[in-house]
Amino acid sequence: MKILRMAAVGAVAALALTACSTNSNTGTGSTTPAAAPTTTTAAAPAPGAIRVWFVGTDTPQNARDYLKTTFEAQNPGSTLTIEEQTWTGLVDKYTTALSGSDAPDLVEIGNTQAAGFTSAGAFLDLTDKKAELGGSDLLPGFVEAGSYGGKFYAAPYYSGARVVTITKSIVPADKAAPKTWDEYLANAKALTTSKVSGMWMPGKDWRDGMTFVWVNGGQIATQGSDGKWKAGFESDAAIKGLTQFQDITKNANHAPTDATEGNQQVPFCAGQVAYLPAPSWIKWSINAKEDAKVPGCGSTLGADDQLTAFAAPGLTAGTFAPVFAGGSNIAIPAKSAHPELAYKALQIVLSDDYQKLLAANGMVPAKISQAKFLPTDAFSQAAANAAASAILTPASPKWADVEASQVLEDSFSKIAQGQDVKTVAADLDAKINATLNG
Amino acid sequence: MSTIPIVAPGQSREESTTLPGGPRRRRPNFFPHALLTPALIVLLVLVGWPVVKLVITSFQHFGREQAFGKPATWAGFQNYTKVLTDQSFWQMLERSFAFMAVAVFVTMVLGTLVALLMQRLSRGMRNLVSVGLLLAWAMPALTSVIVWGWMFDTDYGVINYLLTKVTGHNWVGHQWLLNPVSFFVVLGVILVWQGVPFIAFTMYAGLSQIDGEITEAAQIDGASGWQRFWLIHVPHVKQVILVLVVLSVIWDLRVFAQVYALQGIGGIAEKTSTLGVWIYQKGSATGDYGLSAAAAVIMVIMMLAISFTYVRQTIEEDDQ
Repeated sequence: MKILRMAAVGAVAALALTACSTNSNTGTGSTTPAAAPTTTTAAAPAPGAIRVWFVGTDTPQNARDYLKTTFEAQNPGSTLTIEEQTWTGLVDKYTTALSGSDAPDLVEIGNTQAAGFTSAGAFLDLTDKKAELGGSDLLPGFVEAGSYGGKFYAAPYYSGARVVTITKSIVPADKAAPKTWDEYLANAKALTTSKVSGMWMPGKDWRDGMTFVWVNGGQIATQGSDGKWKAGFESDAAIKGLTQFQDITKNANHAPTDATEGNQQVPFCAGQVAYLPAPSWIKWSINAKEDAKVPGCGSTLGADDQLTAFAAPGLTAGTFAPVFAGGSNIAIPAKSAHPELAYKALQIVLSDDYQKLLAANGMVPAKISQAKFLPTDAFSQAAANAAASAILTPASPKWADVEASQVLEDSFSKIAQGQDVKTVAADLDAKINATLNG
Repeated sequence: MSTIPIVAPGQSREESTTLPGGPRRRRPNFFPHALLTPALIVLLVLVGWPVVKLVITSFQHFGREQAFGKPATWAGFQNYTKVLTDQSFWQMLERSFAFMAVAVFVTMVLGTLVALLMQRLSRGMRNLVSVGLLLAWAMPALTSVIVWGWMFDTDYGVINYLLTKVTGHNWVGHQWLLNPVSFFVVLGVILVWQGVPFIAFTMYAGLSQIDGEITEAAQIDGASGWQRFWLIHVPHVKQVILVLVVLSVIWDLRVFAQVYALQGIGGIAEKTSTLGVWIYQKGSATGDYGLSAAAAVIMVIMMLAISFTYVRQTIEEDDQ
């Protein structure tokens, strides 16, 4: 028994030690300033293996293949590996990965998260290269999202807009294109049955929930002349929007009040959804074949002649509701071991040919000139209308922290669960103010 | 080299130790220390340095900018006061300890019952149970949470489906993770399911070390099954039980992956965070590494306190 006991003491000690070491990873990043390697040398860079991080499944496969083959053909002896990351926990992951010695060479980052990194010096300064990468042809809102202190760090990658997807088998023609916001909400309620959600609105889907606030004139936060941010969910306009959101989630929706917006093709293909507010490329998930790796319903509800979309209407006929400006930027980490090769890869990503591939998949390309290659279907029409009134999140380096803390998910979920709108809004404002001004 | 005894020619080894001038004095022996050095260095570098760095960070204003090279400024005890005056920290601590107590109790009881069952099973059945336990134990934490998450899914989960079939009441649409209590029931099921195998195997090993004759003698003296378990078996495996309880307490307190993954499936993060996840959300996720370091130091101290009581008790018993 004594041996067993001693072994146990050892085990406890070992576990106590691992308990320390697992938690000490936080913030042990290098403290030496990153010396930005020069990218101006004209000579061909030495061959190397570079790693590109794309986030989520948004980048289509043919674009990934094109990037890899083109890069390896242009840079003999070098290889390019694409590693797919997930949106969940991305800010934290990038903080660790980009500050370490094993940083990737080219990274995609959400446009709303970019400021958290450009301000921290995580990316290579590309100001000199801006003209070469596309200059004024690059999407202005995204150039702004990727710039900090007058310098250009993260190039636009693609943009997307949130549209309302419908299938003709469930939504009758007279409800397929509501003219005003009120009509849209009324239709959603009218289309709701015990099985069908008039509008699929999971409680944590704050990105689509924000449309309710914005259309009524509310704001996430505004910056005062003293530089302080003031969150705006307690304003009358925002309260009105949140109350409408609560009404819809309660009376026109069967989506779980604590669910996120993932895998929306599942309820859609099960015939449980009338209006589906989602990024326009949800089309490809719904339209996928039944036996695909991620199955859709391409031969039934999601067939080409069934599936269509419209931009959520604004308060008055002929206008459109502001939607969350989604999309990504792409940047070279300051700690990349092969900044010159990474820049070559970035040039391919921002080349007309590559951007054309994105456009053909319904993503708004980073280069305005390539938008003409967007498909001419209802989705692209709707996306173009929605994108015109898209709203960016507050331009603060701390905004990424607000998103990462999940207060928006929690607050919208609480409202969907029926909690008092004003109380939740006041609590949310306090938390946003604390983070943005902290 | 000093440890090799010098043997004079013509002398035997035994004689050499009793040279005139009395018994040879023991000289300090550095060789064992030299052997320990590489392991110590590895331990110091891999474990010691991060801990030192953690403690240093906990006294600094350390945000994302600092991670990318901007020099950090000293914060004194600010991070600590921020953690300790945060109401949500105490709520979370209360929640973590309450959950840990229930989870450890259930895991221990179930694990012991399985161990007792294994003692009484035939060899074939015992192997079958062992394989089943090992499979549950070998399942990676994240994978199991995702599978359990699917089973408890609001709309398409098998649990809601079966409950509807059995009770006749419509359970489809029941959100298991929404209510924090029910969230922790689901989390408890996952952790107990993964924790029972280790308890069962260790208890089984401990119980099988008990001399069968003692049990037999007690039986002849008229001790009932319950008395035999409680008065003979339990005192014999007391140390094993203590180890298992301490280990389970630490595991269930510092659980991260399962809670974090389950929050991604449903529920309100703010009301379901436990120690590890709270530190992540308050600090790492929002770029306040100083704060999370301070919280982590507090957690380490608590864990050490829990283990310390146990280690001291063991050493005292060994001394007796």
